[in-house]
Amino acid sequence: MSVLFLIPLLINCQSEKTVVSKYPSHVGDLEFDKKLDGDFKRCSEDGSYQYYNDSKGFQIEGEKNKIIQEIQKLKFKESKNSNGYITIRFVVNCEGKTGIFRMEQMDSEYKAYKFDETLSSQMLNFTQNLKGWIPKEIDGIKRDYYQYLTYKIVHGQVSEILP
Amino acid sequence: MDKFQKYYLSLLVLVIYSNLQAQVNCNTMQDDNCKKACEIFNYWSEFQGSRVSQEKLDESIGLCPDFSNVYMEKAVPYLKRGDFITWKILIDKAVELEPKKHLGYRGWCKYQFLRDYKGAIQDIEALEKIYTTGYLGYSSNGDYELHIAKAICYSALGQKEKAVSIIENQLAKKDHNIGFFDYYQLGVTYFELGKYDKALQNFEKQSKQYDFAENIYYKSKVSKIRNKDYLDLKKLALRSYDEGKTMKDGYTHHFNKVYRAQIEEL
Repeated sequence: MSVLFLIPLLINCQSEKTVVSKYPSHVGDLEFDKKLDGDFKRCSEDGSYQYYNDSKGFQIEGEKNKIIQEIQKLKFKESKNSNGYITIRFVVNCEGKTGIFRMEQMDSEYKAYKFDETLSSQMLNFTQNLKGWIPKEIDGIKRDYYQYLTYKIVHGQVSEILP
Repeated sequence: MDKFQKYYLSLLVLVIYSNLQAQVNCNTMQDDNCKKACEIFNYWSEFQGSRVSQEKLDESIGLCPDFSNVYMEKAVPYLKRGDFITWKILIDKAVELEPKKHLGYRGWCKYQFLRDYKGAIQDIEALEKIYTTGYLGYSSNGDYELHIAKAICYSALGQKEKAVSIIENQLAKKDHNIGFFDYYQLGVTYFELGKYDKALQNFEKQSKQYDFAENIYYKSKVSKIRNKDYLDLKKLALRSYDEGKTMKDGYTHHFNKVYRAQIEEL
């Protein structure tokens, strides 16, 4: 009898457990996908650090200036209708290696937009090939962290790199 | 205490002040649901970007859909983590509900995180129409009064004379507190206009307030253009850079930031 009394309660508990939040553990978390991300490895499962979580902020050897110099070597196709932003978010692991690259594209009005694939692939490849990211040391331990790069596109050309 | 320590101390005070400002006095809320929404907001804002925080902020919105601060707070982690589409939807809602409170912030963020100069100018100029007395407040990081931020945007769009005029007008106001980089930004704009005397005057004023590598670099550039000895200043700029006396921003990079490699190339 007492067991029967407990059944609705157990069902309730189960249904509560299966509620899936529409939010990830932390805004901006990226899920590893073997097909996309290959052999990239995080050093720890606790992957919630952001590039701005220490006083040093954005850190790459040669500073952002290196990225600006390298992007100037790329050739872009002039396109008057290509205006907006391409943002690529990724993980820098404790060894300074990068992976789990994900892209968001939007127009100048901050609405989702799809740039010509040649351009978006070019920006993705460029970002994937950047070396020299500096691991973050937080509480004396080298940590994985999230970084992103945003390319401001004006007439099909990269006019600014952020952050 | 040297000038740099003073600078960072004032920055710390500003950050603490900004955080205190983010808190809302819920006792002023008339409606019980809104008061509860406000209390949820105050508590869960501290856990920015976590799942539970975003869910609690949604709960707060459910209780008081016109409480603009919640949309703003919910938007922040998207901004900091590069999801600008989601950020914009949420911050627009906050602005729609209380433009007076959020226009300046949205404008600043458009500039700081996206170099959306035109969008930033639009927001700051819309704010000027609301605050006709002329006081607009400061950027969220405290580095610039918003007229100066607007001037930076005009400068970036190539309207250098207009930028100079806005900064000069602002600096002439009795109630303007000189910002950390005001003289430097004015100096660089004069430099770009080829007005080196004016540029140097402002770099000197900046040095007196507190000096940093970028400012010394520009002084060195003026000396080089004038065929004067510039190498000592260049060395000093590099040394300052290595000592960490540079234009810093934990999230992005400053307008007219100069990198070490650029100083070396001078």
